[in-house]
Amino acid sequence: MKKLTQALAVFSMFGGAMFGTQTLAEPFKIGICYDLSKAYTFATPQVSQAAMDLAKLINIKGGIGGEPVEVIVRDHGNEPQRGIECYSKLSREGVFVFDTLSTPVSLAILPRAMADRNILMQSLVGRGDAVDGTVFDWVYPVGPTYWGQAANDVAYIKQLHDGDLSDVKVGFVYFDYPFGQEPIEILQTLSEKEGFELELYPVPLPGSDQAGVWSKVRRDNPDHVIVWMLGGAHVVASKEMQRNRIPMDKYISVNWLNEVDIANIGKEAAKGIKRGTNVVGGQDIALYKEIITELYEKDQGSGPIEKTQDVFYNTGLAMYSIMFEAARRAAESEGLPITATSYKAGLESLDGYDANGLMAPITVTAEDHGGGGKTRIEMWDGEAWVPQTDWISEYTDVVWDVVKESSSKYEQ
Amino acid sequence: MFYRLSGIHHANYVSDSRIFKVPADRNLAAFIFLIGLAAPFIVPSLYLNSYMLPWLIWTAAALGLNLVTGWAGQLHLGYAAVMAVGAYSAIHAARFGVPWEFALIIGGLTASVIGSLFAFAALRVKGLYLALTTLAMQFVMDWVLTHSPAISGGSHASLQSPTLALLGQDITSDTGYYYVAFGWCVLVTIFMLNLKRTGLGRALVAVREKDFAAAILGVNSFYYKILAFATSSFIAGVSGALLVATFFFLAAPEQFSVAVSIQVLAMVIVGGLGSIIGSYFGVALILLVPGLVNGLIVTLSDQLGMQINVETLAHIPNAVYGALIVIILLIEPLGLGKLYGNIRDYLMVWPFDQFKK
Repeated sequence: MKKLTQALAVFSMFGGAMFGTQTLAEPFKIGICYDLSKAYTFATPQVSQAAMDLAKLINIKGGIGGEPVEVIVRDHGNEPQRGIECYSKLSREGVFVFDTLSTPVSLAILPRAMADRNILMQSLVGRGDAVDGTVFDWVYPVGPTYWGQAANDVAYIKQLHDGDLSDVKVGFVYFDYPFGQEPIEILQTLSEKEGFELELYPVPLPGSDQAGVWSKVRRDNPDHVIVWMLGGAHVVASKEMQRNRIPMDKYISVNWLNEVDIANIGKEAAKGIKRGTNVVGGQDIALYKEIITELYEKDQGSGPIEKTQDVFYNTGLAMYSIMFEAARRAAESEGLPITATSYKAGLESLDGYDANGLMAPITVTAEDHGGGGKTRIEMWDGEAWVPQTDWISEYTDVVWDVVKESSSKYEQ
Repeated sequence: MFYRLSGIHHANYVSDSRIFKVPADRNLAAFIFLIGLAAPFIVPSLYLNSYMLPWLIWTAAALGLNLVTGWAGQLHLGYAAVMAVGAYSAIHAARFGVPWEFALIIGGLTASVIGSLFAFAALRVKGLYLALTTLAMQFVMDWVLTHSPAISGGSHASLQSPTLALLGQDITSDTGYYYVAFGWCVLVTIFMLNLKRTGLGRALVAVREKDFAAAILGVNSFYYKILAFATSSFIAGVSGALLVATFFFLAAPEQFSVAVSIQVLAMVIVGGLGSIIGSYFGVALILLVPGLVNGLIVTLSDQLGMQINVETLAHIPNAVYGALIVIILLIEPLGLGKLYGNIRDYLMVWPFDQFKK
C-alpha cells in the first residue's frame, strides 16, 4: 500500500510537471527548414547560426511580449519532398512562419503555405514575383529580388559613367539555370532603355570550367561584368580573369559572395572585386557587437565564432531581425498569442526598418512584400568592404513590370 | 508453418500460373490492401500526407523502372527525365482545359514516345554504354526544361498544376490525394504481378539474360526492348504527373533532376532488381529513411540534452543512412526484396527444416 501511494505521489508529480509546462503560453516559433547538407551549405550554417543567436539574445532580453521565442532548425537536404515533410510536421506543431533558404524547396512549399495561410519567408530565394503581395498574400521575399539587384547594378554602372551608358558594354556571366537566367530579361530591357550593349556569357553548372567564357570576355572587352554565380565559381572566375588580364574591378557579383570566397581568391588578389548587397558587411554593427558580448564572450554562442565573421551571418541577422521585429509589432498591436494574421499585419507595418543600421531600410506593404528591394554596391579594398553607393532601388517601374507580368501567370 | 503448403497442388497449367501460389501470400496481400484502404482513418494526416503518399507514387514509378531495368535488363539513368515529360505534358494539357483523366493519359503517352527514343539507344549499346547514353538524355531533358520558358512556365521555371479532378469530382483533401496515389500504385502493382506470369514477362527476362540467345529462340529482342521502354515510360509519365498533381502542386526542373534519376535507380537496386515487394521496401528506404533518421537523431539529441551543432546534426543522418544502404547490400546483395524472400523461405518450411541440419 505504501508503495502504491509513493507511486501515486511520483505520478502526480510528473503529471503536475507535465501540466505545468502545458499551461505556459506557446512560444513564438519560426520553422527553419534549411538545406544543411547539400547544395546550399555555403550559406545555411551561417544564416541558421545567426537565427539561433538572435533568438537567444531576444530571450535574454525578455522575449517578445514577455514570452520566449524559439527557432526550430531542421535539415531537408535540398529535396522538395523532405522540405514538405518538414513544413507539414512543424505546421502541425503550431509553427506558422517558415523559411527555407532553398529555391526548389520554397517552390514546393509555396502552394501549401498559400492554402494553409501560413507565412512563407523567402528572402533571396524562390520565385521573385512573390514580392507582388496582391497575388502572393502569404509569401514574403523581404529583401531584393534578383531583378531588382541587377537593375541596381546597372544604376551603379550608370553613376560611374556620369549618367550616360550609350557607349558602354556590359557583360553578364551567369549560371545557366533559372537562378542565373532570371536577370536576363531585365538587363535586356534596360539595355534597350539606356542604350548600353549587353553581352551574355552562360556558364554551365557547376561552374568549375570557365576557361572559354573568360577568354570570350577578354575578346569582347566589356567595361563591366555582372556576375550571377555562387561559392567556388567565384574563385574559378577570378583565376580565369587573372589569366586573361581582366582587371578585378570589372567584376560585380550578386550578393552571394562572402569572406570564404575572398579568402579562397586571396585577399590581395581579390582587391577591387565588387558585390551587390542588402546588408552591411563586416563586424562594425551594433547588433553584432551585442551578440558577441552577450553570447560569445559568455560561451553561449550557437556555433563557432569564425562563422559569425561572414557576410552571410549578417544576412541571417538581417532576415531574422525582420521576422522577430514583425512578431514584436504583432504582439504590441494585437497582443499574444501571435497568429498568422496578426503576424502578417506586423510584417506589413514595417516602415523604413533597418535593424539599427544592419541593412538596407525596408518598407513592407500589402502590395510590395519585398520591402523596396534596396541594395548597394561594395568593393573589397584588400582588407574590408567599402560601400560605393547609398542604399538604392532604381528602375523600380521596369522591375515591377516584370514582376506583374510574371505573377499574373500564377493564377492561370 | 506461416506459409502453409500442405494441400496445395498445381495439377494444371492455369493453376500453376496463378499470381499467388501460396494462400498465405494472397491473404497477406489482401490484408495489406485493406490497411491501405483504411489508412486515412488510422494514420495521422501528417504521416498520410508527407510519408505514405509520396511513398506510394514513388513506388509506382520505381516499379516502372524495375520493368525496364529489373525485367528487361536495360540500365536506365534518365528515368526522372521521362517522369518530367509526363508531368509537364499532363499539366500543360490540364491547364489547356483537357479533363484530368485524359491529361494523365496524354502525359503517359508523351512520356512513352519520348521514352521509346531511349530504346533506340538501347538497341545499339548495352550495359554501361547504355547507362551513359540514358544519362546524356537526362541532361538533354534538363537543358530543354531550363531553357524553354514555354514548357517550364516562365523565368522561375515553375509551373502551377490546376486542381486535380477525376470523374467530375474535384480532389482537394488529403484523403482524396491519398486514394488517387493508392489507386495508381495498386494498378501498377497488379500489372507488374501479372507481368511475371505472362509471355511478355518471360520474353523480357529472356532478353535480359542474353538478347541474342532470346533471338535464336524466336523472341524479337528489338520489339521487346522498345515495348519495355515504352511501357515503363508510360508508368513513369503518369507517376510524374500524379506526383505533381497530388503532392508538389507545381512542377519545377529540380524535381526531376539527374540526382532524382539516380535516386530512383537506387530505390530499385536497394529494393532488388525484378522484385515487386522489393520496390516498396527500396522506396521506403531511399525516400523516407533520411527524414525519419533525421527526426530520430534530432529527438535523441534533444532528449539527451546534447548541444550538437546544427550542421553536424544534419550530416549524422546522412552518414547513418549511407551506412544502412551499405550494410543492407552487404547482408543481401540482391536487395531488400530478397531479404524478405529469405525470411519467407525460412518460415515456409519452419520448423521442419531444422531436422535437415
